[in-house]
Amino acid sequence: MIRQAHPGPEVQAYKTFDEKKADAEKFSREDNYSYPVLIDDVEGTTHQVYGGLADPTYIIDADGRVAFYCLWTHAPTLHTALEELVKQDGRGVVLGGVHRTPHMLSSIADGWRGLKRGLPQSFVELELSAPGLASLPWLGHFIKPLLAPIALRSRPIPPPVKIGMAVGAAALAVVAIKAFIGRRKDTNGNDAYRRM
Amino acid sequence: MHGIEAAGRIEELETRKPPEEYNFEHFTTGVLIDDAKRTIRANGICAGEIAPDFELPKVGGGTIRLSDLRGRQVLMHFGSYT
Repeated sequence: MIRQAHPGPEVQAYKTFDEKKADAEKFSREDNYSYPVLIDDVEGTTHQVYGGLADPTYIIDADGRVAFYCLWTHAPTLHTALEELVKQDGRGVVLGGVHRTPHMLSSIADGWRGLKRGLPQSFVELELSAPGLASLPWLGHFIKPLLAPIALRSRPIPPPVKIGMAVGAAALAVVAIKAFIGRRKDTNGNDAYRRM
Repeated sequence: MHGIEAAGRIEELETRKPPEEYNFEHFTTGVLIDDAKRTIRANGICAGEIAPDFELPKVGGGTIRLSDLRGRQVLMHFGSYT
């Protein structure tokens, strides 16, 4: 449990360890985490030593060394990294050791859960800092069941499904382009009125 | 934390922030820029390095010390309430 990422009237920046502990207990209960939730000190010592990023995940191997550092926590990538680590008997660096890409889709589908705790301040401040970063998760939470299969998957999409999705997207694009051209022809063909 | 590596290492950290700056009261563009810089530099502990030890209190009571988990694979995620 790190600092307050998006402070608000009910969830202000931590000044004492007890405030942080109380939120960690709520966080663990409300979001129903099955794994242990540890509470960093109010200075953020452990968080800062481990890079101080907003949403990182580390995989540490059986020797206590960093096997993989996922700067923006992407579940499918972590899943693959763990599979690789198991193949290596729990030791060594996997997938080149680092993954830096910020994956925004899961934040859009599920980011509202955290952001809504700090309303209205959390929304206004994030939207002003980066237009869209607050309103997209707001929209996303309405269509979460639709986004979830892709945005909140814990396993990588298998290559055949990826190919299927690409073909589907291409087909959709072709249909859209055809419809667009068709409409333009229709508008030009308004001669029909003149002919009448 | 007592006698733990992470506590010692923070002293030599160039990117260390004082408590009032670390616990910002307002999310600003500066926070995003800072995150972007940290992403480019990949601030943190590099793959292959020994993960600095820490001992932290756990929700529900007790503490967990990282070095006690030697021999096991550990997934460690840093998350916030908001």
